[in-house]
Amino acid sequence: MDWKRFGFIALIIIVLFSVVVMVGQAKQPPLLIVTSMLATTIAVATPLTLGALSGVFCERAGVVNIGIEGMMLTAAFFGWLGGIYMFNIFHLPPSVSIGLGVFFAVLTGALMSLLHAMLSITFKVDQIIGGTVINILAVGLTGFLNRQLFFGAGSVFGGSVPSSAGVLPTIHIPITELFSSVCGTSATCLQNVQAINRVFDQKPIAMGAVLLVFLSHYILFNTRWGLRTRAVGEHPKAADTVGINVIKMRYANVIIGGMFAGLAGAYFTIESVPSFEPLLTNGRGFISLAAMIFGNWTPIGAWAASLVFGASQALLINMQIFRDVIPPQWSFLQESYIVGLTPYILTMFILTGIIGKTTPPAADGVPYEK
Amino acid sequence: MKKFYFVMALLIVASMVLSACGASAPTAEDCTKEEVFCVGLVTDVGKINDKSFNQSAWEGVQKSNTDGVADVVQFIETADAKDYAKNISQFGDAGYDVIVTVGFGLGEATAAAAATYPAIRFIGVDQFQAATVPGVSGLNFPEDNAGFLVGALAAAMSQSNKIGAVCGTDVVPPVWRFGEGYKAGAAYADGLNGTTTEVFVVYHSDVGFDKTFTDPEWGAQTAKSMMDQGADAIFGCGGLTGNGAVTAAAQAGAYGIGVDTDQYLTLPEAAPRMLSSAMKLITPGVADLVAATKDGSIADGNVFGAAGYAPFHDLDGDVPAEVKTMMEEINAGLLDGSIKTGVSPVKP
Repeated sequence: MDWKRFGFIALIIIVLFSVVVMVGQAKQPPLLIVTSMLATTIAVATPLTLGALSGVFCERAGVVNIGIEGMMLTAAFFGWLGGIYMFNIFHLPPSVSIGLGVFFAVLTGALMSLLHAMLSITFKVDQIIGGTVINILAVGLTGFLNRQLFFGAGSVFGGSVPSSAGVLPTIHIPITELFSSVCGTSATCLQNVQAINRVFDQKPIAMGAVLLVFLSHYILFNTRWGLRTRAVGEHPKAADTVGINVIKMRYANVIIGGMFAGLAGAYFTIESVPSFEPLLTNGRGFISLAAMIFGNWTPIGAWAASLVFGASQALLINMQIFRDVIPPQWSFLQESYIVGLTPYILTMFILTGIIGKTTPPAADGVPYEK
Repeated sequence: MKKFYFVMALLIVASMVLSACGASAPTAEDCTKEEVFCVGLVTDVGKINDKSFNQSAWEGVQKSNTDGVADVVQFIETADAKDYAKNISQFGDAGYDVIVTVGFGLGEATAAAAATYPAIRFIGVDQFQAATVPGVSGLNFPEDNAGFLVGALAAAMSQSNKIGAVCGTDVVPPVWRFGEGYKAGAAYADGLNGTTTEVFVVYHSDVGFDKTFTDPEWGAQTAKSMMDQGADAIFGCGGLTGNGAVTAAAQAGAYGIGVDTDQYLTLPEAAPRMLSSAMKLITPGVADLVAATKDGSIADGNVFGAAGYAPFHDLDGDVPAEVKTMMEEINAGLLDGSIKTGVSPVKP
């Protein structure tokens, strides 16, 4: 474990939160601010976390994947489209349609990454170019189909976007119910419990992402599969000589990575907002790549880095909400374009190596030749 | 064989004669004639039935047709931004009298076409002119009035006395006017009702123009943050970003408020909780300008249309009669100028 790095990340998040609490406590109780920000942080970090995990699996196996953005976008589109088809054409109940939508999104991610795997592993195309191809393909494909299917003359849905099956429900963890008895009649205590409950009222993909972080960590560092994955990413020749099928391992991990990106895509159109808009991923795939590097190619590190991005967005939103009570000497904080720079400046700091070197897998981006 | 040619020739001549007889109403071919008044409309990238800008503007053109102002009306749907100039020149070459171009994006192409076709009147919807462009009337709308209306409505309807607005970047003046108008409207309603409403207005200014209006996920998260602080009505002003905010608000059971057109019709997910929308009244604005062109009273430069608010639809039963009366009074006051929003046209 890289404690220096995690300590640094935790410090940043604490600083970001304290700034908002200091400014906002004139208006809201600090606990409510913190829990609201935490909830925002976790939700915002979800697609970044999943995207970063996607990158971790690909690159740990030795394949650079800058096509995460495109995979997310395509998955977001086809997941949403699949849900709409199931709901409006096959008249399945909403819950089934939503579930199938998530399945289609993950499947789309897998197929897109299969394309990337073929380009970069079998055909040994430059992996940066392969990823760029995926990103460009995703923009064109989703934009074209979105227009043809929904807005084209004689399109399936007759020129208008049909209603979707909805979004994944919030999983309510009954903290309020469990702990309200502890509070007795104290109203402030009850308020505090409700505020804390807010953090845990997340949707399935957001919760699943956190579980997947730890699962990925376990798989990569505690299982035979993980050892082999890292071996083909560090020294494929050595792995090959001990009988590991390098090509197969790489294919499998790139496709697993694609499935993570697909789940991230599902987050946008099936969990967050039930609609697809062209280019809706808005560069988050690239931010998750930064998070992956920031986290030194480890799942937990990447997650922590994603939380920094999430926290700085929570800061950004809350600073504007509390705009009226910002002290004049701090007024620059309400200029969102300054605060919005935080994660990017931090990334640059990290990459300079101040808090320890980031080391990519040794064979990252190198096609394997027998 | 000779007989065949003869029959063919006869048929062709007959069809020509017959069609000439049949066409008593003027057609697009007659647009070059002085007495036939033709109006053409070029959409921004998108369809004529988009339930938004393009459709509203086309309905304005159609209205001028049914009112007897225009004899021939026609539209061209733009499929790609690089076709703007080509589509405009189709009407220009056909001798149309008025060409309506819809959307800020067509501004440059419209100005260029106006120089090429000096005899034609151009109406640019949402094309604000920093300097007057000869031959073009830019139809703009007082966004601050529209924001003011829904701000007053939100403040009057809020149970928690906290309302929010999630907007695109405040660098774009209309967005700024929507957001600040919203605040001013809430303050006005507070003055009438003796309440104190907290207004959260968040602009998505931390990203570039390419992203600020197309980030529904950001909009949704921002709306959720506001609801955490207690807001129970969210105004989404800023394209798809705003749509994300309104949808998130509706899903959480808060009031959603749309923008530009009646978004009850365009956001099915949010429709059951859609309180109203801050509307630009494009249809009457376009029809009025077409009529003004015909009677010669039109001038170059910026023309301002009217703003309004959309019907309450599903929530009509939730809105108390006194709030409805208040809204009608504010609307009347804004229209006759007795109420001023006090919002500066651009961010100072």
